[in-house]
Amino acid sequence: MLRQLAISALLIACALPAVARTRPHYGGTLRVETEGDPLQRPDGTARKLLLDGLTQLDEHGTVQPALAIRWTSENNDHRWQFWLRPGVHFHNGATLNSTNVIAALTAICGSGCPWTTVQPAGASIVFISDSPMPNLDALIAEDAYRIYLTDAGDGRTPACCIGTGPFELPPTPSTAFSLIANDNYWQGRPFIDKIEINGHKSIHDQWLDLTLGRADFVEVPAEQIRQAREQRLTVITSPPIELLALAVTDSGVLGNPTLRASIALAVDRAALSNVIFQKQGEITASLLPASLTGYSFLFSTERDVNKAHELRGGITPPQLLLSTEANPTMQLAAQRIALNLHEAGFNVQLAAPSQHSDMMLVRRRLAPRQPQAALTSMLRGVGVQSPVLADQPAGLYREEREFLDTHTLIPLLYLPRAYAVSGRVRDLRLASDGTPLLANVALQDAPDAIGATQ
Amino acid sequence: MKLAAAVLLFITGLMSLIASATPSQWEQPAASLASQIAEILGPGQARLTIRNNSSLSTDEIPLIRRLLEADLKTRGVLASGAEAANTIRVTLSENQRERLWVAEIIEGNETHVAMVHVDSGAVQPLQASSGITLRKQIFLTVPDQVLSAFETGNTLILVEPEEIVIDAGNAQGWQPQQRFSISHKAAQTRDPRAVILSSSSINGFEASLPGTACSGSTQSTNDWSIRCHESDDPWPIVAEPAQDSSSNNAAPIKAFYNAARNYFTGVVTPSIAVDLPPFYSAALLPRPDGAGLVISGIDGKVQLAESNALKPITGTRDWGSDFAALHSGCGAGTQIIASGSGEAITDSLRAYELPALEAVPASAPLAMDGTVTALWTAPDGKSIYAVVRSATDQYEVDRVTATCN
Repeated sequence: MLRQLAISALLIACALPAVARTRPHYGGTLRVETEGDPLQRPDGTARKLLLDGLTQLDEHGTVQPALAIRWTSENNDHRWQFWLRPGVHFHNGATLNSTNVIAALTAICGSGCPWTTVQPAGASIVFISDSPMPNLDALIAEDAYRIYLTDAGDGRTPACCIGTGPFELPPTPSTAFSLIANDNYWQGRPFIDKIEINGHKSIHDQWLDLTLGRADFVEVPAEQIRQAREQRLTVITSPPIELLALAVTDSGVLGNPTLRASIALAVDRAALSNVIFQKQGEITASLLPASLTGYSFLFSTERDVNKAHELRGGITPPQLLLSTEANPTMQLAAQRIALNLHEAGFNVQLAAPSQHSDMMLVRRRLAPRQPQAALTSMLRGVGVQSPVLADQPAGLYREEREFLDTHTLIPLLYLPRAYAVSGRVRDLRLASDGTPLLANVALQDAPDAIGATQ
Repeated sequence: MKLAAAVLLFITGLMSLIASATPSQWEQPAASLASQIAEILGPGQARLTIRNNSSLSTDEIPLIRRLLEADLKTRGVLASGAEAANTIRVTLSENQRERLWVAEIIEGNETHVAMVHVDSGAVQPLQASSGITLRKQIFLTVPDQVLSAFETGNTLILVEPEEIVIDAGNAQGWQPQQRFSISHKAAQTRDPRAVILSSSSINGFEASLPGTACSGSTQSTNDWSIRCHESDDPWPIVAEPAQDSSSNNAAPIKAFYNAARNYFTGVVTPSIAVDLPPFYSAALLPRPDGAGLVISGIDGKVQLAESNALKPITGTRDWGSDFAALHSGCGAGTQIIASGSGEAITDSLRAYELPALEAVPASAPLAMDGTVTALWTAPDGKSIYAVVRSATDQYEVDRVTATCN
């Protein structure tokens, strides 16, 4: 049952009219609308299409070669060597080599890299670290480590955007933000010729454009999946892969671990799931979803206000600030949590997203599907730099338990990512982190198909 | 006396039934979990509860309980009733890869956790059909994409996007022996395809890939010589089946392939006196007036080229782009085996006949374990090969045959 669900969720294809299916057609323009900036770091829609990483995660979260064709780990994961794919060129024609890869990696993470040094070795690059780097191959598949040309040379193109990806910026910028297919892409030219990305669009406007035939691909927030289906939009959803969690500072009054434990007991996950997220999430108190570990039930999700009061021990802490992103749903969720905490004797005020706060409601996307890599990635995302060394369930459970017992991060829900597509779109699949694999998409009415009928 | 014999027979039968139903795969994990529990708890009594959070059938739970109780007992832990001070709460769980058995050992306010992981068993799909029955035999499963394959004696040659792999058959199945890298001059396409056939001039094969042609020859199973070069020569697409296993196919129809796309241009050689549109696949069918060439156009239309005319075929709404002819000897003798038109996780193959210009189903759909990505007729025409990409991105090469009902 679980396997069936996972497979069906991972391999979603859009529903199409019952016409004879052909192999994918080439040509056409895909019209994409998003709430965010297409070039935002690290996971803007356009950025993912322009840039590649040394490795990539497939739809199942397994590490696959990308700009690196093979790699080895030595010296107990202290040294990793990645061999670069030969014959790959950046969009401006520059050849991919170890020098420009190292320049990009250095620019990306500066002094906060998970390695101590990175150096060229012929057609390969070598990462060395004082501490072990298990799953470095999975870590560098993350969006943050996508390779771009740091010295474009023409002084015009944004430094972020000259990559080796399946799409490139057109030579002459047009009014709409658009990308054109990279004919020489190492993984094969995309089927579609062009992607127009309309960023900074509200969800309402995106759905309107989809309904009116002005867009082919729009976003569907988790809490609106049901509504989108009621409106008969063709919705594609990922498994629950985005963790909603409450990050709690361990300084100031919340330096007291008992108070943090009290906060963890006071949050009503079920209400968040049922009311705010319309039952689309999976309630969790663990960092990794049950489908990955099988042990998440060991972390209790029950709310216990009496125990929360008891742990607070009569201490009435000063006013605490809770912040989250400007997104209306996240604001609602934060308000709900503030109310929960108030019932447990805490005085919580919502703070502006940019304001310093004691607690922050955050979302963390989980890409790797290998539990050790996933836990490492999740912990790095919350500032825990030490790698996860355990690779068996019992050891992973111990590491996760040890971290969660600090109550500096309180997992709440795992949410799916969802999109709606027009009837033109076919063969859309989602990456393991819910990212749409737009380079694989073909259009039902692509010129290749139309031309054949004329 | 009779009664005693009957009871004895019943008991013997029951014993053998229990013995045959005992799945040995639970014995090791039960022992391992019991060992961990006993190490934490030490000798004494404890209340044992078991809950099933996994896809295991509830029928299995009593057996697992018996195994756990027995293993605990041998380690000095007696699973007793509700009056025991300590509790062992076992949860049979699972994740995407494996089963996980977790024991929470509760001693007063303290809870300890022990866990063991258990390999999940594979599920074998079943298939039923009517009319002509299609049967599938899994040839091999590999992690890399397979474009086409060719079996010669005890050797299987796999064409992959960037390699040609020579597999040798043995008791364990097909094992890779040699790998030859294909250096493509032009950029690869996103939906690569290939054709491989036995060579008419050498003891080996000829393979066509987008923009590249390869040929391989051998003096022995483990000594292959393979050469690839840039080529825009037409690809062999259909041939009359070989008359016997020793002879090669008759001269095939060849078609020019658009190396930058994923289809044939419509230009074939020798010419067939009718202009063909670009197409994805083709099959040769015996017709009253000779042979007809069935093509699946890139516009989704299936047409039949015969008697110097191109005629639309109806009843192909459920067809995908890929089909191949199968000389089953059943019914009309030759059927077209077409992949399904859905984008479902599990594709299917189905036999069709063309008594006129309408495709008539001749078999029930044969469920495949993923999406059919390539389909071609075996050299003897009596079976077809299918490449299937599974939900886990494994590639399976299947041989499909038909039996007459």
